[in-house]
Amino acid sequence: MDSLHAIGFYVSSGVSLAGALGVALLGNRDVRGASMAVVGVGLAGIYLSLSAGFVAAVALVCYAGCALLVASPLYRPMASVVGSRWRQVGAIGAAALLAVLAYSAFRGEFVHANFYGGAFGVANLGRLFFAHDALSTEALAVLVLVAFAGATAVWRVRERSR
Amino acid sequence: MSLGLVAVFFVAAGLIAVGAFAAVWRRDMTAALAGVPLMFAGAGVAFAGVARFAAAGGPQLFGQEFAVVLAVAAAALLALGLGIAGREGQR
Repeated sequence: MDSLHAIGFYVSSGVSLAGALGVALLGNRDVRGASMAVVGVGLAGIYLSLSAGFVAAVALVCYAGCALLVASPLYRPMASVVGSRWRQVGAIGAAALLAVLAYSAFRGEFVHANFYGGAFGVANLGRLFFAHDALSTEALAVLVLVAFAGATAVWRVRERSR
Repeated sequence: MSLGLVAVFFVAAGLIAVGAFAAVWRRDMTAALAGVPLMFAGAGVAFAGVARFAAAGGPQLFGQEFAVVLAVAAAALLALGLGIAGREGQR
């Protein structure tokens, strides 16, 4: 891996992590949506530097959709009933999760293999999606269909109740 | 400057932890749901990193395939979750 890819990876990682912190910490809905879009851009950069161009394109589209959903004023806020003590326990759990994952990544002994998938890899990925794992692709398509149909139904009910 | 699987796993761990933090820390359910795509993003980065650096046997692009599945599933689950949470918030 040349240094150009490595620089692209580290810059994209910084962008993505900064956007993720914005999603987690910022209060305004519009700014949170913009942060989610920043996460998508950084994620696409990470995938591009990992020779996964098709995944980068899909991630860009999906996280742009996520950004629009997060920033949308259609969804009213709904307060959680979880107390502040459990929120603090959860935050400590998230920090512990980061420590465990980082430690296992640091201590792990991983095999190294040469990559020959190409920069974009769409032909091989299409073969995997539509021939090798066609059933899981169908299941994912059903999930997307249910999500869009459910979101549309909720939106229509809300519009009718106005 | 070099890049390896460990650096990819560090970034993935950061995304997963920030997503988990967002999911548990925010009081607003619609804001907490925004942490789910972050965790999926971290998992996708880890899978793509394994496909790039360490997939020795079988089809090499399994990790990339799973990263695509995770990205699409993240958007779909966010749409579904926000729809349900927004509907409950109206009551």
